[in-house]
Amino acid sequence: MRISRRGFLSAGLAVTGCFLLAPQKAIAASLFRSPVATNMLRPPGAVKEDIFVGKCIRCGRCVEVCPYRSIQPLSLKYGVYAGTPMVFPAEIPCYLCMKCVEVCPTGTLLPIAKEATRMGLAVIDRMRCVTWKGESLCHTCYNVCPYKEQAIRLDEFRPVIDEKACTGCGICVHGCPVSTEEGKKAVNIEPIYSGVRS
Amino acid sequence: MNEHRPSLSRIRLLIQGMAFSLILINPFLNYYLHINFVQGWYQSLGIGKLWFVSPLEGLESILVSKVIYLPLVIGMLSPVILAFLLGRVFCSWVCPINFLSSILDRLAAVLARTGRKDRWLLSRHVLWFALLLEVILAMVMGAPLFVFLSPPGLVGRELMLLVFFHTVAVEGIIILIVLTLNLITRRFYCRYLCPLGGLLALLGAKRRLQVQQDETACTKCRQCDRACPLGLEPSKGEGASIYCWNCGDCVDACKFNALNFKWQ
Repeated sequence: MRISRRGFLSAGLAVTGCFLLAPQKAIAASLFRSPVATNMLRPPGAVKEDIFVGKCIRCGRCVEVCPYRSIQPLSLKYGVYAGTPMVFPAEIPCYLCMKCVEVCPTGTLLPIAKEATRMGLAVIDRMRCVTWKGESLCHTCYNVCPYKEQAIRLDEFRPVIDEKACTGCGICVHGCPVSTEEGKKAVNIEPIYSGVRS
Repeated sequence: MNEHRPSLSRIRLLIQGMAFSLILINPFLNYYLHINFVQGWYQSLGIGKLWFVSPLEGLESILVSKVIYLPLVIGMLSPVILAFLLGRVFCSWVCPINFLSSILDRLAAVLARTGRKDRWLLSRHVLWFALLLEVILAMVMGAPLFVFLSPPGLVGRELMLLVFFHTVAVEGIIILIVLTLNLITRRFYCRYLCPLGGLLALLGAKRRLQVQQDETACTKCRQCDRACPLGLEPSKGEGASIYCWNCGDCVDACKFNALNFKWQ
């Protein structure tokens, strides 16, 4: 059977039309909306989120070299962001080994010094934190922080973040013993440097 | 005749097999032994400090982000030079989709004794439309589709996901669709729809390595036309056309030594 050019092109147009018109606006928007959010972070050295999706070629090399399995490729659920690398610090935080930035072939993750990394900023929820509520003297976040005394210090035994030194690695999130109903912790990483409005 | 000549299809299957086992075994080495000497698959492959980036993915990355990153360009250089000199040899000698298709072809040849017929035939120009559409769509959407839906890349990603996360991604269904299309027309996807194949063909338009026909030795038996997985007609000199991917199946099929690879 030989398909005529006209037949093929009109079939192709029909399929493309269905693809473009069929989804409701909300679904279409979710397919194009950046998944970066609280405790959903890009690996170190990532470019701004608006060009991330076009720059990253989903080659998976950062995923493969990450020795802690912190970096996961996103599933098709995230639309055009499928296959892009994401760190979920509540599951496994980034330990700032900086192996991923060395292998990225596209410059989506750019070489950056460990202390200059800004994956986000840790924010303590003072309504949830048991120490801030005065229920205990927990300072796990302070204990686990790789930049102790710089990124987190204790102010009258209560943890305080300094945005000048916080890398957003999420080790504090991982360590925090408090879990809220929304699946957050008492300390969370907000991706304020990613260029995404939350 | 050509009994003294080694069978190209065997050598090719061996190379394809080695290329496939690289992306099959490597995730295990990286996951269990933390070797990390080789990373990635045929979208971007890193061997030590040496990088290779698939030209189409790299091109889209540059076009969409409008930033030229030198290591990316250097990584694209060697595949581009390869395509420039040898044509679409990545497709025919390395690509895991073509490897799986070749294996299925051999299975089909064992199971069904009758010759294969290509049922759906389109204009060969569809390949250029596929390339153009992909690049335009990527720039309109600001997000390339081929990078996460490319069948050769998906094979690598699925293997990695399987080893690293003990799961597979749903988009892997594309691999199955592409392989199933082979039942209707051999290499239907490679012939008409692969944007990467289109780009490599374009780069190899004036390639040095070509299948040349010796008109005096040719008996017009058309065995080569039957052998060509892309449905070209080497008996009419199409081995030198832009669409040929230098797999060498026609060279193997020719009993009269009328077809040979020539470097020019």
